[in-house]
Amino acid sequence: MSVPTLKMTLRLRLLFAASAGFGLIAVLLGVGALFPAVGHAIGKLSIPKGVDQLLGGADYGTITGWYRSEVGSIYGPLLIAAVAIISASASTAGEEEDRILGLVLAHPVERSRLIVAKAVAIAAIVVVLAIGCWVGLIAGVALAGGGITVGHLAAYCLQLALFGFATGSVALAIGAGTGRRSLANGASAAVAIIGWLINGFAPLVSAISWLKYLSLFYYYDGNDPLAHGVDIANVIVLGAAALLLTAVAAISIKHRDLHA
Amino acid sequence: MSTQPVIATSGLSKDYGSGRGLFGLDLEVGRGEVFGFLGPNGAGKSTTMRLLLDLIKPSAGSAQLLGLDSVNDSLAIRRRVGFLPGDLALYPKLTGRAVLDYLAELRGGVDRRLRDSLVERFDADLDRPVRQLSTGNRQKLGLIQAFMHEPELLILDEPIAGLDPLVQQSFHALLGEVSAEGRTVFLSSHTLSEVERVTDRLAILRQGRLVVVDSLENLRKVAVQRLEIEFGEPVDANEFRALPGVTEAHAEGSTVIVGFEGPADAVVKAAAAHEVRAIRPYEDDLEDIFLRYYRTDDPA
Repeated sequence: MSVPTLKMTLRLRLLFAASAGFGLIAVLLGVGALFPAVGHAIGKLSIPKGVDQLLGGADYGTITGWYRSEVGSIYGPLLIAAVAIISASASTAGEEEDRILGLVLAHPVERSRLIVAKAVAIAAIVVVLAIGCWVGLIAGVALAGGGITVGHLAAYCLQLALFGFATGSVALAIGAGTGRRSLANGASAAVAIIGWLINGFAPLVSAISWLKYLSLFYYYDGNDPLAHGVDIANVIVLGAAALLLTAVAAISIKHRDLHA
Repeated sequence: MSTQPVIATSGLSKDYGSGRGLFGLDLEVGRGEVFGFLGPNGAGKSTTMRLLLDLIKPSAGSAQLLGLDSVNDSLAIRRRVGFLPGDLALYPKLTGRAVLDYLAELRGGVDRRLRDSLVERFDADLDRPVRQLSTGNRQKLGLIQAFMHEPELLILDEPIAGLDPLVQQSFHALLGEVSAEGRTVFLSSHTLSEVERVTDRLAILRQGRLVVVDSLENLRKVAVQRLEIEFGEPVDANEFRALPGVTEAHAEGSTVIVGFEGPADAVVKAAAAHEVRAIRPYEDDLEDIFLRYYRTDDPA
């Protein structure tokens, strides 16, 4: 791994990630503060099954279901995926399109080591966000009156971080393999959104319910870590997906021409 | 000192389709040479440099730098080479100092005193973000990063682009010192005065193919010769156009300018049929030489 590249990538991206992290903490505090006032009332609402499934199929009347629907189903993964995708594509295809990568790779650094450094930087960024999320959840749940253990919050944040890393690795692989920033951003976002839709709708139709296993979202949220804690199998699948995609990125950039 | 060429390419090609790219480049550059690489836009100069640094892969042929294969030994080569790209881009939000620190770290560190001396020599601004720097000041950073590890070979694509005359002078002096130390410079340029001033030999590319490799002195020798012949009265230039070896002839009042290749015998004899007041050589300037090689309708 190229340590100077890791440090440089973190230097260029951490401010963006930290800003997103502070925003996430603010949202988590707000969601916690709202629960005592509206949580029980919303819990009695009748919501169409499809929409309910997209929001995690949780009971909004409980603090666990409240956070799962408000943060776990959309805001948390959306934010971490967006930060990971933008960071991964900017630090690979973005630098190539900006003609910086050509100069960097004229120095004695192997392309694969450079990509591994970028992947580690993305992992560090999602970990920072996940820690911010954990802190925000602890404070938010306390504001809401408690009801989720710190361990379960940590389990959720672990699976969130791995989901972010895996989604960012999709952008890393496409960015490194093609050198096209818009393609890396667009295709990775599509993978995340389609995964979210599949995870929400596939279980409603028994014939295609197996499709949920193709969605990264399923491994992030399927076992409801806020309620049940960490799922080792899901963690392994997300981690393995991220590592596999990083390997694809490292190999694919090795043998292709850099764009002028 | 080794006599092995520092750069040796054999049939080096990169085919982008539609006639674009580089085709069958055979070239040798010796140790301590300052070698000019010329050609119109799109001729393949930058493509050649990117091939040498393994930024792109050859479609055919091979290249050796410092005795190493450009593809298989790329990492070892890049340790010993300094590169300035023609379209230099740096991290816009970072200061020049941060950029140079990063690039130095990629090399495992450089001699700080050498870097500082280059900064002083080029009067580079290291404290402002790159996006606030002028083209010339960014180019200074590009030159410093290319030279700061004392590479054995420098590959410089349009190195003086955007530099003011004083900095150009510093750069040319630096090239002289580098060459005197036995290090090699391979540079492309559109600035003919620079080529004339700093290069020992040069190559001209046209449409991806090597047209000529020679010293400037020899190129001048084989260039089309011209005579300016002043007659006692106006003479029809067509008399000269039909002569063997004559490439052009035109009259300006009672003076005829005749361009020809090979011996001047036929031209002088034809002129002697008239009253000749004076014959003066009409030397091609550098631009004429290059334009002749650049022209696509010229079979040179």
